[in-house]
Order: sequence, then structure tokens, then C-alpha cells
Amino acid sequence: MQLVIASGKGGVGKSTVTASLLYLLKDEYRFVAVDADADAPNLDLLLGVERWEEERELVGAKVARINTESCIRCGICQERCPYDCIKVIDGDYVVSELTCEGCNVCGLVCPVPGTISLDEVRSGVVRKTTTRYGFPLISAQLDVGRPNSGKLVTEEKEWAKKLMGELGLKHMVVDSAAGIGCQVIASIGGADLTILVAEPTPASLSDVQRAYKVVQHFRQPAYLIINKADFNPGFTALREWAEAEGIPILGEIPYDRAIPRSMSMLKPFVEAFPDSKAADAMREIAERVREEILK
Amino acid sequence: MQIAVSGGKGGTGKSTVAINLAIALRERYDLVLADLDVEAPNDHLLLGVELANEEPVELFMPRFDYGKCTRCRKCAEVCEEHAIITMRDGTPFLMPNLCSGCAACEIVCPVPGAILPGKKLMGHTYLTETPYGFPLVTGRLLEGEERAMPIVSRAKKRAQGLGKELLMVDTAAGTSNTVSKALEDSRLIIAVTEPTPLGIHDGELILRLAKLMEIPAVVVVNRSDLGDVAKVHEIAGEYGAEVIAEIPYSENIIRSYVKGRPIVLTDYPEAGLFREIASRVVEFLGGGE
Ligand code: SF4
Ligand code: SF4
Ligand code: SF4
Ligand code: SF4
Repeated sequence: MQLVIASGKGGVGKSTVTASLLYLLKDEYRFVAVDADADAPNLDLLLGVERWEEERELVGAKVARINTESCIRCGICQERCPYDCIKVIDGDYVVSELTCEGCNVCGLVCPVPGTISLDEVRSGVVRKTTTRYGFPLISAQLDVGRPNSGKLVTEEKEWAKKLMGELGLKHMVVDSAAGIGCQVIASIGGADLTILVAEPTPASLSDVQRAYKVVQHFRQPAYLIINKADFNPGFTALREWAEAEGIPILGEIPYDRAIPRSMSMLKPFVEAFPDSKAADAMREIAERVREEILK
Repeated sequence: MQIAVSGGKGGTGKSTVAINLAIALRERYDLVLADLDVEAPNDHLLLGVELANEEPVELFMPRFDYGKCTRCRKCAEVCEEHAIITMRDGTPFLMPNLCSGCAACEIVCPVPGAILPGKKLMGHTYLTETPYGFPLVTGRLLEGEERAMPIVSRAKKRAQGLGKELLMVDTAAGTSNTVSKALEDSRLIIAVTEPTPLGIHDGELILRLAKLMEIPAVVVVNRSDLGDVAKVHEIAGEYGAEVIAEIPYSENIIRSYVKGRPIVLTDYPEAGLFREIASRVVEFLGGGE
């Protein structure tokens, strides 16, 4: 089974919840964890990973380059670039490598053949390790300024599937990126179900609703975990929304200083502070995941 | 003139800093705030306003006129996104989800009219008046669409078009090219980070991006009492970025956040911190007025 943990908004505790859930399920289930937030991966940090066993460079991102020698400075490329990535610097037409999407429109419209080339560049790395908890983790890191492509996530999931075959693993748990863009779509697409994590604030509600629309787009069931559940007592709209949509609430985790403190210790909070209120709530959630989802 | 508020990691309080800073800077500049976190735009919620003046962001999407198409496959060959598949006889089909709207296929198609300019809706931009004396421009990607770049680019243009003295952009988290797009043309980046190992790791990435883009950066440490602030100073130092403020974890900030009442407008002592950040920014920009 492939399950995804998503939130829409960053910073609501999705990865800390994921790390603790993995910790609680590790003895009973055989799974591979995938950190699909290639732009800001952090599951490795939360699981205390210190080294990678294997890394693969990912090329495939493309950027345009202009040869200033043959360029006749007609400006057509600049006019036609759909994303405004071509600037004039000291009289030369230059592609901003940090924003170029690699579509090659400039190369097609340039009247001087060979002036614009489309070069392959590295987009990041995909890497694998075995965590100290025994399960493997696949993670990726996008290079600074590269298109935030879903391809990286697809690559990660393919590697994870291969590992499942090799090691006889039953499940894949994907910690998706924040937002609703290509990485999130690549995470949710092909999964069996999504667990949404949200906190009771208007911003988190708005973002989790958007993430839920992506889940619905793929016609998958969704569940909800409410984090920092007591942090805004007057705010009931999150719960009401979940009830109205028929999204089962797996549990509520109270705001607990144990969580930020465990992050500094680079451990899942259920491991670092097993007696905390948050850990109690997390164990109940894991129980429901066992009974209702993994069965 | 443009400045940007950014932060490698999501949820570090970037938007809180952005809106409070905008309110504080309003006294010195005629400004517009642009929320370019198009996958999860929230500045309007923090400002307590409803998005207004919606404009669609539509992209080119090829439509094939099969009566004219000669099945030469040129369109499929040129598509960098592999959004066009061809049948055995060369008939092209579009997979709309993969299409980036770049129009390369239309440019190479040798048969006039075989590719028609269809359109697809990618999201919206909004221009909202706020009760704080500055407008807010917001970009919002449609759920189910993958490409943030066109929305970022269009929202930024809309904000630039207002011709204000200061454009303040609030970017998405991370360091992908849509963040670069938002940061582009900034005179200063205010990087918001947390002193946790995650915050430090991601904060370093944004400083690296700032350096690559040759934009000066300063650092604001949020929840500064929840981790190793010395480490943030150390890394900021490596990138030549000054730490201009440390905001301790504060129930008052959370309460004002939850109520949609910006803290800088309250009498809480934390308001002073944001005014201080504002005056450091004004100093950096060389005055105001
Ligand atoms: S490849 Fe596309 S995005 Fe890049 S500069 Fe050329 S036209 Fe612009
Ligand atoms: S279209 Fe070609 S020749 Fe014209 S400015 Fe661009 S690179 Fe130079
Ligand atoms: S518009 Fe660009 S991405 Fe879309 S089908 Fe044509 S070439 Fe491919
Ligand atoms: S390039 Fe034009 S004529 Fe050739 S297959 Fe594509 S649509 Fe048909």
C-alpha cells in the first residue's frame, strides 16, 4: 500500500508527525519511507540520518544559454520567452539560469542558428539510506534554483518501488512537499490514500482544503490529523469542514513543547519524549492507522 | 524598488514577518505587498481581508486541427515536456497536465492553422485593498495544476504595474526556480529562519540562493529561544548576512495571528521588534520618503 502524508501548508508539523508515525509502526510493518519534499527535505534530519548509502545525480533539467559572440542582439528571444527569463546585461542578452524552465522557445525563435543552446544541467540528487530504525529512506535534494519538478519525486518513488521488490516490503509512506504543485501531485498520484495534517488556523484550513482537492482529483480516500489541536480553542472550522466532507479524523495532537525540543535532538518526539501529551496522542493515532488503514 | 521576504523552510513565520513589516514600512513608503507563495497564499488571511479583483491566468494550450495536420510529428519532437504523444501514423495528442504552455509546438508546426491557440486556466491573480494603507497582490495556483511559474510571473507583473515606490514580495518556501523568479530584481532579501536544525539547514539554502543571485540578504530569526541561535549567527556570518532581529517564541504573536490582527498594530512588546526590523530595512534602502 502506498500512503501519502500531505498538508498543503508548510510548518504545520507534517514531517514531525510522519517521523513519529514511522517510529511507532516500524516494528510491525515493513515499509520504505520517501521524503518527497525535494525542495526542503527534512525527514532525514528528523530520523537522525547521518550518511547516505547511495546517491544518484539527476540530470535532465535544461537551461538555455546564449552565445554572445554570434548573437545579433535582435531581442526576439527576450520577447518570446514565456517566463521572462532573458535579460539584457551590459548590452548582452543573457538567460537567467535560476529561473529558466528549459522550454527552448528562445532557441526556436532565434534567427541565428546555433546561438542558443539548450544544455542539460544537474537538477539534484536522489539518495537512499537505512535509518537507525531499520527501515530504508529515500530522499532527494533539488539544487538551488532548479525547476521544482515532479520528476524528482517520480524518480524517488520508482527507486522505492524497486526496494520494495528487493526487500519484500509491503508499504510505501510518502511525506509530501508543502503546497499543491507538481511535487505534491507526483506524490499523491498513484497512491492509495492520503493522510492530511492541519492545524486549527484559517491559513492551515485554507491550504489543507486545497490539498484535499488534489486528493479528490485522484479519487482517493483521505484522513485528517489535527496538530496543535488546542492552540486555537475558538476555531472549530477545521473540524466542521472535515465532518462535512466526511473525512475521518484520525486524532488530535495537543500543542506540546516536547515537539520542537525533539526536533533539536533530531529524534521523533515519541522516542525523545515518550511520556509527553503529544506522544500519548500519537500512539492513539498509530493505533487507528493499524486498525483502519493498514489492517 | 523591490525587497523580498523569504525563508527556506515552510512555517517559519515568513508571512507573519512579511505582513507586519509591510504595515510598519507603510509609514515610510508608498508600497504594495505581493504574496507569491502561489501554492499556499495566506497573507490575505493574516491581514483579515477577502481576495478581490480576480483575474484569470490562462496559458496557451495547443488544439490540433486534424483536418490540416500532416502528421509530421514536429510538434511532439520539440516539446520539452513530452506533453504531446503521437500515434503510429503520427497523429498528435496532447496530455494537458504536462503542457507548460510555452507554445514551442505552435512555433515549429509547418502547417498554418494545424495548431490552434487553445487556452487553459492555471490560476488567478488578485488585487485587494487592505485597511492598512497598501494594496495586496496575490497569486493563486488552481488545485490540480502543477506549474507555479506562470502565476508567480503574472502576479509579480500585476504588482509591478501598480508603479509603487516599494514592492515587497513574500515568496514560497524552498529555493526552486519559482522562488528565484519571485526574488529576482530585489534590492534586499529578508530571510526568515528558525534556530532548529531544520530551520538552519533550509535557511542556509536561501542564503546560498541569495548569493548566487547576488542579492544582499539579512536574517530574521523567529522562535529564537527554541534552538541554537549561535549556529544561525555562524552560518549567516559565512554568507555575509547580518542577523537583524531575533523574535522569541510568543503566545501574543500566535494569538494575533489566529485573530487576523497583525501584532505590529497592538501594544504588545513584540510590536516593537517588527518596527525595529522595519527601521533596519529603511536604513539599508537608504532612507524613505
Ligand atoms: S528555454 Fe524557455 S524559459 Fe528558458 S530562456 Fe528560453 S524561452 Fe525562456
Ligand atoms: S534571438 Fe538570438 S540573436 Fe536575437 S537576441 Fe536572442 S540570442 Fe541574440
Ligand atoms: S505548449 Fe509547450 S509544453 Fe505545451 S504541448 Fe506545446 S511544446 Fe509542449
Ligand atoms: S507539427 Fe503541426 S502538422 Fe506536424 S504533427 Fe504537429 S500539428 Fe501536425
